[in-house]
Amino acid sequence: MDNLNIGRHISGQFNEDLERVINHVMHMGGLVEKQLNDSLTAVGDSDEELAKKVLSSDYHINHMEVSIDDECTRIIAKRQPAASDLRLIMAIIKTIADLERIGDEAQKIAQVALESLSSDQKALLQSLDNLGRRVLEFLQATLDAFTRMDAETAIKMHKNDEKIDREYEALMRQLMTYMMEEPRMIPQIMSVIWSARALERIGDRCQNICEYIIYFVKGKDVRHTTAEDVQAL
Amino acid sequence: MISVSPQILAGSQPALDLNNLNPEQVALEIKNLNLHYGNKQALQNITMSIPKGQVTAFIGPSGCGKSTLLRCINRMNDLVDICKVSGEINLHGDNIYGKHVDVAALRRKVGMVFQRPNPFPKTIYENVIYGLRITGEKNRRVLDEAAETSLRSAALWNEVKDRLHESALGLSGGQQQRLVIARAIAIQPEVLLLDEPTSALDPISTLTIEELINDLKKQFTVVIVTHNMQQAARVSDQTAFMYMGDLIEYNDTNTLFTTPMKKKTEDYITGRYG
Repeated sequence: MDNLNIGRHISGQFNEDLERVINHVMHMGGLVEKQLNDSLTAVGDSDEELAKKVLSSDYHINHMEVSIDDECTRIIAKRQPAASDLRLIMAIIKTIADLERIGDEAQKIAQVALESLSSDQKALLQSLDNLGRRVLEFLQATLDAFTRMDAETAIKMHKNDEKIDREYEALMRQLMTYMMEEPRMIPQIMSVIWSARALERIGDRCQNICEYIIYFVKGKDVRHTTAEDVQAL
Repeated sequence: MISVSPQILAGSQPALDLNNLNPEQVALEIKNLNLHYGNKQALQNITMSIPKGQVTAFIGPSGCGKSTLLRCINRMNDLVDICKVSGEINLHGDNIYGKHVDVAALRRKVGMVFQRPNPFPKTIYENVIYGLRITGEKNRRVLDEAAETSLRSAALWNEVKDRLHESALGLSGGQQQRLVIARAIAIQPEVLLLDEPTSALDPISTLTIEELINDLKKQFTVVIVTHNMQQAARVSDQTAFMYMGDLIEYNDTNTLFTTPMKKKTEDYITGRYG
């Protein structure tokens, strides 16, 4: 919490409110990270049991989103936050929306573990797993940057999404080739495509969270700007 | 396809560049203003330009010099014996601290409203036209018209039009404060100074006055001192943050309340220990 600097308000109650909501966001981030990790493991190990657990645990994340939103609404109503406090609350409200969607994407990935794939097709899952691990690292680094509100790391991580997009495109080409060769397997391969797509979307959402961190620390809104603009900060 | 850019959504006019205003945009130009009460320096080298037709707020902790600075603008500090001022305040290019300035004439151009409503123990009507009476205006029609226009501008007309000749002291606090504003604007000043105009009022009267300030800026340049930061955020176009006699940060209100440049400003507006 290096840059958060929330403990210095004259109102101790306000400090507590902010600390509590930040802790809840971190807890939610931890849950989302676990969901993604579990869904990748379930796919890699064809572990149906774990996949079902992922599918049935998403509601925790949804509940956290609702309750953190509620806490933020109360803080706005009671404290009328300004400057960095206001940017923090805005960043939190947006971050949890993205975290909740990452949870949904993890569910989609877990679905693949429930498909019956032949041993040939399992090779495709290896590529999916590689992409998945890279996305998971991105998510972990993003959450870590959020915990420390570290804009420098967020700026560095921001361009990670490009690499993920390139890997995703390569995987798509591979999957399309496979579909042309084996039209019978199109339904199964489609589910692999959906998970690859889900991973790519998680990358986008991690990038969004990096943008909120930059907004909180630097006060600059870098959404919909070019990668050069972000790196130039 | 409709393209929507943030500029289009913003609606209100773009923020002025306060360091590079055109001379015709400036109502008041404060240059190197220093003020001492005896040995104690209360204002340190204040330099700022206050734009015309806008609301400028001064905020800061008690004793930071915001009221002192406001009072300098119509030379209210002249009444304090131990007070010594150096530097300039230019109203339309003329230094109000110049040698041959008629202070009474200055105060006709720069009206002021204080923290507590201070109506005279006269009728509502006499309160409003007081300024015109002492300048020698006798024409009944002119006076009636001024009274109505000022009371309408101060959003008080509908409440008092049937009792103009009753005592002003019978009005509520919020009404009295609007009456005092009507009195200040009856003489058509160029600048209106408001020194914590709502600190003695209830929340509803406060909102009425804030709404009124928003209307008044169409006719006058308004400078307001307030302890209530949310009020400064709501009513002003630009905000100056002062601390221990220094002007720390002066910026357009939207920027100052979301992304202040200085740490002292940040600490003050977020309620942190300095």
